[in-house]
Amino acid sequence: MDTSWFTKAWANPQALSDNLWLIIALPAFGALVCGVFGRALGRTYVNLVACASVLASFFLSVFAFQAVAADPSVIVTSAANGQPLRFALSGDWGVWFQAGSFSAHFGLWVDHLSATMLMVVTGVGFLIHLYSTAYMEHDPGYWRFFAYLNLFMASMLTLVLADNLVLLFVGWEGVGLCSYLLIGFWYTDAANAWAGRKAFIANRVGDCAFLLAMMLLVLTVTAFARAPSAEPPAIFFAQRRAVFAHAATSEPGPLNFKVLEEFAQYIPASLAMGSKGLLGTDIPIGPLAGHTYGHTLTVIFLLLLLGAAGKSAQLPLYVWLPDAMAGPTPVSALIHAATMVTAGVYLLCRMAPLLVMSPAAMATVAVVGALTALYAALLAFAQDDLKKVLAYSTISQLGYMFLGVGVGFFWGAILHLVTHACFKGCLFLSAGSVMHGNDGELNIKKLGCLRKEMPWTTACFGIATLAITGIVPLSGFFSKDDILHGALHTHLLGYEWVMPTVFAIGSLGAVATAFYMSRAYLLAFTGERAKDAKVPHAHESGWVMVAPLVILAALSIVLLLHGFPGVLKTPAGQPETLMEAFLKPVFGVADKLAVEAHSLEPETESNPWPGFVIALALAWVGGAAAWYLYKRVFPARAGKPVPAVFAAVRSFTVHKFYVDELYDAVLVRPIKLLSIGLFRVVDEGLIDTVLVGGTGWVTARIGSLLRYLQTGDVQAYAAMMAVGLLAGVGYAIFEVLAK
Amino acid sequence: MEISPVDTQNYLLLAATLFCTGMLGVLVRRNALVVFMSIELMLNAANLTFLAAARERLDSTGHLAALFVIAVAAAEAAIGLAIVIAVFRNRGTVNVEDIRTMKY
Repeated sequence: MDTSWFTKAWANPQALSDNLWLIIALPAFGALVCGVFGRALGRTYVNLVACASVLASFFLSVFAFQAVAADPSVIVTSAANGQPLRFALSGDWGVWFQAGSFSAHFGLWVDHLSATMLMVVTGVGFLIHLYSTAYMEHDPGYWRFFAYLNLFMASMLTLVLADNLVLLFVGWEGVGLCSYLLIGFWYTDAANAWAGRKAFIANRVGDCAFLLAMMLLVLTVTAFARAPSAEPPAIFFAQRRAVFAHAATSEPGPLNFKVLEEFAQYIPASLAMGSKGLLGTDIPIGPLAGHTYGHTLTVIFLLLLLGAAGKSAQLPLYVWLPDAMAGPTPVSALIHAATMVTAGVYLLCRMAPLLVMSPAAMATVAVVGALTALYAALLAFAQDDLKKVLAYSTISQLGYMFLGVGVGFFWGAILHLVTHACFKGCLFLSAGSVMHGNDGELNIKKLGCLRKEMPWTTACFGIATLAITGIVPLSGFFSKDDILHGALHTHLLGYEWVMPTVFAIGSLGAVATAFYMSRAYLLAFTGERAKDAKVPHAHESGWVMVAPLVILAALSIVLLLHGFPGVLKTPAGQPETLMEAFLKPVFGVADKLAVEAHSLEPETESNPWPGFVIALALAWVGGAAAWYLYKRVFPARAGKPVPAVFAAVRSFTVHKFYVDELYDAVLVRPIKLLSIGLFRVVDEGLIDTVLVGGTGWVTARIGSLLRYLQTGDVQAYAAMMAVGLLAGVGYAIFEVLAK
Repeated sequence: MEISPVDTQNYLLLAATLFCTGMLGVLVRRNALVVFMSIELMLNAANLTFLAAARERLDSTGHLAALFVIAVAAAEAAIGLAIVIAVFRNRGTVNVEDIRTMKY
């Protein structure tokens, strides 16, 4: 067999690089066609355009992925020092904008990380487009839906392909906009429109932090690039710095990822020189002068974390995601489970080389992730709406990804992102299929026994449930437990307490996950058909809806290969997973820098299997508890009054721990009161009455006094003119005489 | 016998006198027709000034301005007299003191 098939790029890498923009342009073009001509084109052609544009994007992505993954000749050089950086395709379409010495480029690149994301976004995206053609079959707004969905794809791909933070931010805002549009897709129902607004505003809080972080980052990097070369740590690498300074202050700009990576490399290098290192040094020039680089970096990453928490629905900004389920189900699957909400994880991973320089920020990310993972899982306990259960589950799983990032286990976080996209996409699409077959019913207490009537959906939901629960041998087990295992065996220097803590919280969360997912599955798909069901018999959906389910379910099994420990060996002989090896070109830099900077001590050789056995046991415990409660205890107690304790706990959980109420009382109401106050006093009182009304009033009064000058006597007017003339003449004479 | 040329100053003094007379007439006379004549007086005072200046400077710009003033004065007289006639037909008087309805 010809092995060059595997080691050569299928398409010419240069041609691919030059045409990367097509990956974004195709869905954008689809959005334009569907949005402008959609109504005239009709359903068939809209479906065709929407799916075909994403499919074409997917094929291009496959070629790009293959080129990056297989062909070692595809090398991108560092913008900062011209050294080979890693295998990547990259294209640059010139300067987007320039402000002073700051510039941002239209630059795209595909390295191993963005290639992985590309496959997830376009692959899962295409399946969901296909599914939507059947799901939106009877909706009159189909063309609007597909236009938004295609626009979302374009934005998400911009986010993933961008080679600098500014362009990434464009995609970041674009997906936020599409999320808003699609949550409120059925806007005639006020609740949906409000859910959209809630999502938009919660995201806005995060975006604001993101912007601040970018500005601080620009200041920090340019301050370093321009610092007088006699400053203590900078003096040691004066030679390389000249190239870096040019890269950071003119082309391609300080927010280019390659430049940021280069910047990160100075930090451990400065440590090696004996002084307190760059992190302990004060920034010498610029508005940040006097603060140390280390503190500034920590602040930047805490702000980025807040931005990521807004987009990825982490504490404390998670509140929008459950309400986002108001949108059509394919949207929940694509945007609010598989792709957009993982943007925060992608962002932090993209910034990994710098992130590891701030152990405090790492610890915060890990703790936020762990708390979210457990907290959201607990909230899912008492939700009766299948989509709400899945929404909380998404928040919880995103928490695991943040946990992975926080403990420096970046490839684990990305692996979990990929597997989660598959199994959670499958779960959501199954939920959509259930809705389709049960006349829109989603209350798991009013379903039951779908096993017989919807065998395909049940099977796929079952597989995905097992995957998310973490049962061997499905993908979720390896991705989640790789993260927990990593948490236990990594040491964040200065924050040693973090690792065991997040491991414990994460494991508890795993039990909770098993519990609520089993509960949802058992109640909805097994047992008797509920007496108050909307329709007496459900019907299975057509193949267009079932096929994506089956593919995603199959993927959630197959992806276990990528997390299976010990498939590969590192040159040093340590066992390595496929995903770890694949993402090494990206995260290897971060790991190396972390070790050199003494901020993180990554996993040393350890046997993961004992941990895996414990994790498996925990998953069984959670699942068994759900089975025992909902199959044995509660059916047996049917008809008897519920004990007061259970009722209280349930009520507390159903009300989502009263967090919405708390936010309402602490934030929304005071802001509303303040706004009403400002409206009444400043707007109505000061501006409307005093400024606008007052100007008119004064003018009217003066006018009504002056009108008595208009006597109607033409000679009086002539006299006034004469007096004026005399005054002028008198002034002129005075001027002449005064000289 | 040669007539000595008149000094420009004298023209200007004459013009000022004419102008003041005209202005006085505009301010104090009650008959609209007399007011009109006073205005003509003022315009011609201006003309005289222009021509005196033209003579002093030995160029024709002043003549040009004076011609313009004559044209404007003619137009003004035509319209003004039409108004006066219209007012007389309506009210039976051309006394400006009696015509002060356009007031506050």
